[in-house]
Amino acid sequence: MTRWSFMMPSIVLLLVTLAYPIFYTIDISFSTFDLSTFGADERVGWANYEEVLNDYRFWDALKVTLVYLVIALPLQVALGFAIAFLINAEWGGRGMVRALFIIPMVVAPVVAGGIWRMILDPLWGLMNYALQGIGIGPLDWFGDANLAMAAVIIIDTWRWTPFIVLIATAALLALPRDVFEAAKIDGANWWSTLWSIALPLLIPIITATFVIRWLGAVKMFDIVLAATYGGPGKATNVLNLFIYEEAFRSLRFAESSAMAVIVLVLTMVLTGIFLYGSRKLEERF
Amino acid sequence: MTTVATSAPRRSSGQLGRRVRIVTGVAVTLLFLFPVFWMVLTSFKHQVDIFTSPPKFFFTPTISTYVEYFRRADIERRLINTVIVAAGSGLLSIVVGTMAGYALARIRIRGAATFGVLILLSRGVPPIALAVPMFLVARQLGLTDKHITLILAYSTFLIPYVMWLMRSFFLSLPRELEESAMIDGCSRYGAFFKIIMPISLPGLISTLIFSMILAWEELLFALVLTNRVASTIPVAIAGIAGDTINGANWGALTAVGTITVVPVVIFALLVQKWLIQGLADGATKG
Repeated sequence: MTRWSFMMPSIVLLLVTLAYPIFYTIDISFSTFDLSTFGADERVGWANYEEVLNDYRFWDALKVTLVYLVIALPLQVALGFAIAFLINAEWGGRGMVRALFIIPMVVAPVVAGGIWRMILDPLWGLMNYALQGIGIGPLDWFGDANLAMAAVIIIDTWRWTPFIVLIATAALLALPRDVFEAAKIDGANWWSTLWSIALPLLIPIITATFVIRWLGAVKMFDIVLAATYGGPGKATNVLNLFIYEEAFRSLRFAESSAMAVIVLVLTMVLTGIFLYGSRKLEERF
Repeated sequence: MTTVATSAPRRSSGQLGRRVRIVTGVAVTLLFLFPVFWMVLTSFKHQVDIFTSPPKFFFTPTISTYVEYFRRADIERRLINTVIVAAGSGLLSIVVGTMAGYALARIRIRGAATFGVLILLSRGVPPIALAVPMFLVARQLGLTDKHITLILAYSTFLIPYVMWLMRSFFLSLPRELEESAMIDGCSRYGAFFKIIMPISLPGLISTLIFSMILAWEELLFALVLTNRVASTIPVAIAGIAGDTINGANWGALTAVGTITVVPVVIFALLVQKWLIQGLADGATKG
């Protein structure tokens, strides 16, 4: 029994704090919600789900979330590895540069959203002032739907790319050097070295980084809340914020529980697929 | 990692290429640091120096925003709350998660692998799916606005996080370490606490610090589960940034932001070597 005793504390804690709330959410999602007793009332089958799936706002929020994920994740992974390559150049200050990259990474996302909101302010912000210098703008970052999405992605990229940079720096340093020397001697050019030697060697770590980033990105909430609050209109209203609003502002707990379950299933399935895929890729390379 | 880092310069990249890399690398780094610098700078401005066009880089510094806003928004209590919650959830998770991580790495038990996969999947659970029921349950049990509620809520993402980092850390240790100790009559617990723990200290500390940072900056659960007594700093920042009636108070925003970020940055830089190592290991060996 000592064998299980190492696991027990975490199992018990996670059953109470993680599993129970999930089942409770599922329970509410199939019921009506009584605001006077603040609990589940009658069972209504799939009614809440039907309502959610017929709600165009849910689909809009899902679309916004997908746009954000599809643009931000590849951008951040690519940028992260590119910057890692740059700052891995050998010189006296390399260690310090790498350490400095920790700083944006530990800025609370809500703070990141707040300060960028200030920097991107259309009237007094530094960004528009700088852009004006090169003849662009002034851009209405939070008034235009596409620009607002761009702003959210910029902030998110600023906050999360350093994290990828740090992983990528370690990965690049761990690359076997002799393979590159051999390629050099064989007369391989820069591009083919990158494409046929470095990239295949890096595939496992790139996919792993992608999965880790995915796990964080599906939780996107703080930055949007602080920077745009989903606006203008609903242009940056990611699902997490939409569900939050529906539950805690509109007090529609049954419907928001149904949405939460849908999001839960979606992310779990996709996470499972990504994990499986990254394992497979790792085996192949 | 360190031996590779200090080895001779790579001959394949020419001197010019290397210089270009260094210069652009430094430029990109400064670009990434700039927003933080701007935040700290703005926090020391008078209101009249904040709203200017062009933006001011030179001005007479003041701490009036700090003094004024801290009194008004109960920042002191929020700071204490955030420390309590971050330390509490960090310590709880490190103890519980390290034990489980050790079990996953070393002890063969049926069902443990399945549990491990479940835990890994749970890292994909969007917190909003937990926030709704947590709020309802906490309300029923009279647990809203209490530190312990937030500590437990944070353990939902911290325990799995610690578990996986520590699991990969333990996998990198040679098995012989505990095996010889256990042959010498140590129990599994004895081996764990006397042999494994001490050599795992760097990994443990960096994981603990990172867990505390994650708790320190958490917003959603704090927003939902607290209102006045146990409310944390991120909630205050969300409030300032989201003030659509008066417009965001940039002085307050940057002052509270600076207070939130500076201690974390100092902590992170102190243990940066371990942090980077831990991050790299967590990614490659997960």
